[in-house]
Amino acid sequence: MTPRAPLAGIRVADFTWVWAGPFCTLQLAHLGAEVIRVETATRLCVTRLLPPFADFQAGPNRSGYFNQYNQGKKSVTLDLKRPEAIEVARRLCGKSDVVVENFAAGVMDRIGLGWETLHARRPDLIMIGLSGYGATGPDRDKVSYGPAQVPLSGLSSVTGYRGFPPMHVGISYGDPTAGLHGAVAVLAALLHRARTGEGQYIDLSQWETSMAVLPEAILDWTMNGRQPPRDGNRDAAMAPHGVFRAAGDDRWIAVAVQDDAAWGRLATLLGRPELGDDPRYATVVGRKRHEDELEELLTAWTRTRTPEEATATLQAAGIAAFTAATNRDIAEDPHLNARGYFVELEHPEVGTRRHTGVPWRMSASDCRVRRPAPCLGADTNQVLRDVCGYDDAEIERLRAAQVLA
Amino acid sequence: MTGALDGLRVIEVGDLTSAAYATKLLADLGADVVKIERPKTGDAARRRGPFPGGVPHPEQSGLFLYLNANKRGITLDLTRPRGRDVFARLVERADLLVHEVHPTDMPAHGLDWERLSRLNPRLVMTSIAPFGLTGPHAGYRATDVVSWSAGGVATLNGLPSEPDLPPLKAFGDQSGFQAALCAAIGSLGALFARLTRGTGEHVEVSTQEAVAAILELTFPFWPYCGLVASRLGAKPIQPLCFMECRDGWIFLCCVEEHQWTAFVDMMGNPEWAGMELFENRLARGVNFDALAVFLQDWCREQSVHALYEEAQRRRVPFAPVSTMGDLLASPHLKARGFFATIAHPVGGAVTMPGAPYRLSATPWALRRPAPCLGQHTVEVLAEIGLDARRLAAEGIV
Repeated sequence: MTPRAPLAGIRVADFTWVWAGPFCTLQLAHLGAEVIRVETATRLCVTRLLPPFADFQAGPNRSGYFNQYNQGKKSVTLDLKRPEAIEVARRLCGKSDVVVENFAAGVMDRIGLGWETLHARRPDLIMIGLSGYGATGPDRDKVSYGPAQVPLSGLSSVTGYRGFPPMHVGISYGDPTAGLHGAVAVLAALLHRARTGEGQYIDLSQWETSMAVLPEAILDWTMNGRQPPRDGNRDAAMAPHGVFRAAGDDRWIAVAVQDDAAWGRLATLLGRPELGDDPRYATVVGRKRHEDELEELLTAWTRTRTPEEATATLQAAGIAAFTAATNRDIAEDPHLNARGYFVELEHPEVGTRRHTGVPWRMSASDCRVRRPAPCLGADTNQVLRDVCGYDDAEIERLRAAQVLA
Repeated sequence: MTGALDGLRVIEVGDLTSAAYATKLLADLGADVVKIERPKTGDAARRRGPFPGGVPHPEQSGLFLYLNANKRGITLDLTRPRGRDVFARLVERADLLVHEVHPTDMPAHGLDWERLSRLNPRLVMTSIAPFGLTGPHAGYRATDVVSWSAGGVATLNGLPSEPDLPPLKAFGDQSGFQAALCAAIGSLGALFARLTRGTGEHVEVSTQEAVAAILELTFPFWPYCGLVASRLGAKPIQPLCFMECRDGWIFLCCVEEHQWTAFVDMMGNPEWAGMELFENRLARGVNFDALAVFLQDWCREQSVHALYEEAQRRRVPFAPVSTMGDLLASPHLKARGFFATIAHPVGGAVTMPGAPYRLSATPWALRRPAPCLGQHTVEVLAEIGLDARRLAAEGIV
C-alpha cells in the first residue's frame, strides 16, 4: 500500500507572511496539507525581498529565505485592496479546512476576512491568527516584528555574556516558536473537528508562546523574586559547560560535562586522571566553584584540536560535545546527509539548491517536502479554477481587472 | 467545556524538557498523560530547579512543576523485566507513547517499536533523540548547549566587537523546546493519519534537525551564495539593536524607512540624523558604529516605558527588554490572564506561564498540579488490574 500523507485532503488558506505564519503552514505542508499562500504582488512578503538571493541576483522568486520556509506550498496572487479580490479570498476560505494569518490583530476583520464572516460561510472552519500581542488585551494593537519578540518575552534579559548587555539569540526566535505552537493548535483542532464536526478560532500571541519556553526564568521570579543573571554559556547544574575555542580560524566546540562520572572521563582525556577524584572537582558544586580554572584546562586541550577531532574523542568517552556548526558545516554534515535531512528539488528560477527538510520522520505516513517553494502567483489559475470554481473567462476578466496581482 | 484531546491516552517517559513539553502541550488540551519516572530519583528536572529559596527539593523544582502540570505520575523501573511487563500492559491501552530515552539505552528500557506495535497496532510511538535514531552520530550524547551548537544557532550569536567571546547559547533548554514542538506535531500528525489508516506508527525526532530547521535566512546563504554566516558580521540593516535607557534596556527596531523617519521625529529631528551616512537602512547598517554613539547618547536620557509607548503610538515596533518582573506586572498579560496559578500539595501556590494559544471551542486549561513522585502509581496500575503494593515489594514501582 502506498503511504498516505497524514493531512491528505486538508486544504489550508495561508494569508501569512514573514516567518512565524509561514513556519506554521510549512509544518502542515510537510504533513501533506494543500497549503495555498495568498500573496499580493504590490506588497510582497518581506522574505521575497531579503537576501540571500541565488547567485546574488535579486528577484522575488530567488530568495533563499522565502524558498526555505515556503517549500511544499502553492502561491496565488490577489490584490487584497480590491473588493473583488476579497470575494475570491472568501471563496477560497469557504473551500478550505484551515485559515492561517499573522497580520496584526484586527487586520483580517478590517479587510472583510474576519472569523465571523468566514465562519458564517463555513461552520466547521478552523482559523488561527498568530499576532504579536494576541487578539485581546490593552496592547492588542501594538506592532511587533519577529526580532522584537526576543527582548519582549524576557529571553534577552537572561541571555548574554556575564557583565555584558542583554543579547539577541542570533535568529528571530519568537517566530518559529510561535509557528510551531500554531501548528500544534491547528492539529489539535483538526482532531477535535474529526470527532465532533466543530470548527473554532484560535488566538495565538507570539509574545505568549515566547514566554511558554522560558519557565526556568519566569518561575525563578514567581518563586523567589529573582531575575536570573546573564551567565554566558554556563549552567547552574553542570560544569564545565560552554563553547570552547578549537584549532582553526574562529572554530569552536560545545562541551557539557553532564555529571561527575563524565568529569572523571574528561579528566582522563585531558591527561589529568587524578583530577577526577580530586575533592575540589569531584562534585558539581566543587566544579562550579573552580569553573574558571577548569575552563582554562579544557580550552588548552580543545584549542589544539579541530572541533571535529575533539567531538569524536569526547563522544567516544560518552561526553556531550559537538562542533559549533556554521551554515556550511550543517549543509556538509555527513550525519545529516546520511539521514536524508536535506531537500534538493528543481526550482524553475534558482535550480537545485539545498534546503533543510522535515525534522521528524514517520514510519507509515508520507511525510516530506513535496514541491519547491512556489514562484509568485504560480498557482493562481489552477487554484481559482479547481478550488474556487471560476471558469477560464472569469479568471481572465479578474486578471484584466488587476484583481489577480 | 471539553478539551480538544479529551480521551487521548498518552504515556511519557521523559527527563527534562523534550518529551515532557511535547506531552504537556497535549495534556493542557485534555489528553490523559501518564508520566513514568524511575523509582526513587525520578525525572532529572526534579533536580534542576529553580527551587524556592534556591534549596533543591524534588517536589519543588519550578521547571518540573511547569512541564508536568496536568499529568498523572507513576514510578516504574523499566530496566527490569517485570517493570517492562507492566509497561507493556500500559502501552496496550495507550494511543501515544512519547519518550526521550537515548537510542543506546532504548532496548534496555523495553522501547522496541516492533514489539510494542505488535502488542498494540494502534499505538503511535514518538522517539526524541539528540541526533535521531539513525546515522553515524546516532550514539552521540547532547545537552542543550551541544544541540544548539550542533544545529547551528549558537554560531549566529555573539558580539562583533568581541571576537574572543564564544558563540553564545540562548537561556534555558531551547533546543529541548524545539524538539518537543516537533514531537508534538509529528505525534498529532500520526494520530490524524490513524483516523484513516487505523494503525499507528513510529515517529522519530532529531533535536539537531529541529534546531537546524530554524536557522532563518542564514542557512540558505551557503547553498544560495556560498557564504558562511558568522556572529561577527554586521547586521545588514539598522537600527535593530539594544540601547540602555536611564531605567533599563530597549530594543530599537526600524525595519522600514517610515519607522526610521518616525523615530527621528521622536528624537526631535537632530542634525546628525540627516547625515548621508544614515540615509537609508543599508547605510545605517554599514555605518552602525557611528550611529550607535548618537543613539546611545539620546536613549540614555529616556525611560524605557515612555519610549516604547511613544514609538508604538507611531507604529514603530520597538520593544522593551522585559525583565521577569516586567512580565508579571504587565497589564496586558494580566488582562489576558496569561499567567496561571495552581496549588501544589508540597510547594503551595505556584505561578507559571499559562495558555500559549486560546482555542475558542476547546479551551486550554490547567486542571491539576504536577504529580509528586509516584503519586498516581496505585491509581494507574489499578486501572490495568495490577496491585501496586505487590510490585512495590519487588522494588519495581
